Amino acid sequence: MAKTALKPGGRFKSAVSDAQVMVVKAPAGEHELGCGGTDMLAGNAEGSGSLPADDTGEVLIGKRYVNADESLELLCTKGGKGTLVFNGTPLEIKQAKQLPSSD
Amino acid sequence: MSARPTDDDRLASRYAAALLQSLDLAVPAPALAPLHPALAAAACGLQALTGESDGPALICPAPLAAAADAALAALATLAPEGAFEGLAGRDLLTERAAVFGHARRGAVSPGGSCRLLATGDGAVALNLARDDDWSLLPALFERDLDADWPAVTRAVSGLRMHDVVERGRELGLAVAPVVPPPSQPPPWVRTVASARPDPRPAPRPRVLDLSSLWAGPLCGHLLQRCGAEVVKLEGLQRPDGARRGPAAFFDLMNAGKRCVALDFGSPGGRRQLAALIARADIVIEASRPRALRQLGIDAEALVRERPGLTWISLTGYGREAPAAQWVAYGDDAGVAGGLAYLMRQVHGHACFVGDAIADPLAGLHAALAAWAGWRAGGGGLLSVSLVDVIRHVVGFEAPTNADGWHRRARDWAAVLTSVNVRPPQARSASARAAAPGDDNAHVFADWGLAC
Repeated sequence: MAKTALKPGGRFKSAVSDAQVMVVKAPAGEHELGCGGTDMLAGNAEGSGSLPADDTGEVLIGKRYVNADESLELLCTKGGKGTLVFNGTPLEIKQAKQLPSSD
Repeated sequence: MSARPTDDDRLASRYAAALLQSLDLAVPAPALAPLHPALAAAACGLQALTGESDGPALICPAPLAAAADAALAALATLAPEGAFEGLAGRDLLTERAAVFGHARRGAVSPGGSCRLLATGDGAVALNLARDDDWSLLPALFERDLDADWPAVTRAVSGLRMHDVVERGRELGLAVAPVVPPPSQPPPWVRTVASARPDPRPAPRPRVLDLSSLWAGPLCGHLLQRCGAEVVKLEGLQRPDGARRGPAAFFDLMNAGKRCVALDFGSPGGRRQLAALIARADIVIEASRPRALRQLGIDAEALVRERPGLTWISLTGYGREAPAAQWVAYGDDAGVAGGLAYLMRQVHGHACFVGDAIADPLAGLHAALAAWAGWRAGGGGLLSVSLVDVIRHVVGFEAPTNADGWHRRARDWAAVLTSVNVRPPQARSASARAAAPGDDNAHVFADWGLAC
C-alpha cells in the first residue's frame, strides 16, 4: 500500500468499485487508504482492479466512516462495494448525527 | 375598514380553490372571510418576524399568511364539521417563534442557526442546525478554520456561490443560493406512485408519523384534529430533536399522539417498523429517500403493493436525483424558494421571512394532501417538498417583473397601519406529549402486532 497525505475536503475514489469519499478530517502526515484491498485514488486518477471475493463490505452514500480514535473521518459521496481500510484497519460507520433541536 | 372587499382581500379564497382543484376534488371552495394578504401577515406575527432587529418590520410581497389560511380552510372543507374551529392557518406560521421567544434578525434566521452570507459572486443561506454540521466545515472550505460565524463568513466570501452550494450539498449541509423565484411555479404536490384504491377504507385512518421537528409533526397534528389516530414513531437512538427544545412547543405539535420508539439498528426493530407501516393508512415521513431504503423500507413498492395507502414524503427538494440527496430546513428552503431575493428586490437588502417559514407552510399543505388522499381511498406516494411549496405560494398570481413586485409591495404597505403589526402568538397545548416509547405496548396490541 502506498502512503498519501489526507486533507479536509480531499476526494478519493475506489480503484475497484464506484465508491467515492471526501475527507472530513485526518491526522497529519502520510497514511494508507484503501478500498476493496487496493489503494484509493486521489481526484481524477484512473485505476483498474478487481474486488477480492472475500471482501463483502460496502460503502454507503451519506454515511461517515471513522477509525477507532476518530482522528480520521471520511464521508461517502458515492456508494460502492469494498471495505474502507486506513493504515491496515477497517473503518467503522460513525453513529448518525443527532437531530437538531430546532432549525 | 372599507365596505367592499377588494380583489386582494379574496386572494386566500382563490388560493384555496386552486389547491382543491389541483387535487381534482369536486368540492365547493371554502368561503374565507375577506382579508388582505398584508393584513393577514401583520396580524399573525409573520411581518414582525421579518426585517432587521433594529429596523421596522418589513412586508414580504408574497402571500404566505394568506396561503396558510387558504390551506387550512381547504383542509377544513374535507374535515369533520368544526375540526378547526377558532384556528386560522396563518397563526400556525409563528407559534414556534412565540414559544421560543424568537424575533427578527435580518440576515440571521430568528432561530439563529441559518445565515445569509456573501460569496464572491452572490449570496447563500447556510444553515448549521446540528452541532455536528460545524465539523464538516473544514471539508467545505478545504482547510481548518475557527468554529464560529465570523470565520465562516470570511471563508465563504472568498468562494464562488456555485462551489459553496454544490460542495455543501454533497457534504449534507443545508445550503441554498439566494435566487429569484422561478418564472413558472412548480406543483406543490406530486404523485410519485399511485395507490390502488382500498375497497373498504377505515372509518378512522391510522397515521404513522416518522417525522421530526416541525413540518411533519404539524401535518400529523392537523390530521389528528381531522379525527385520525396518530402514532408518533421515533428511533430509540435518535428521538425527535424537538424534544430537547421548549416543551410548550413540542406539546403543541405532539400532544395526544401515541409515542412508539423502536431500535432501528436491530433486525427486530426494523421488522416492527415494517409491521407498523403495513398497518397504517397514512404514513408521514420526512427523511431523504435513501435513509429509509437503508432501513429496508421502499415507499414506492409499499404504495404499489398496499391498496389504500397514502404516503406523505416531506423533503427539502423532492425525491428526484440529485435533489433527493439535498438537505433543507425551513429557513434555507424559504431562501431557495425565492423569498430572500424578493426581499432584496423590494427593500434593498436580503433577509429571512418569518421563522423557518417553509416548515409550517409545507406541513399545512402536506396535511391537505394526506387527508384528501385518504378520503379518495388512497393517495399513493405524494411528494411535498419544502422548496416547491414556497415556490408555489410565491408564484401564485405573482407579478411578472421587478416593477410588478415593487408595485405590489407599495400597494400592500398602503393597507397597513402600525397597529396592525402584531407580535407572534401561540396556542396552549391541550396536554403534555408522551415520552418516546410510552405507548409501545398499547399500540402493538391495538394494531395487532406481537411485542
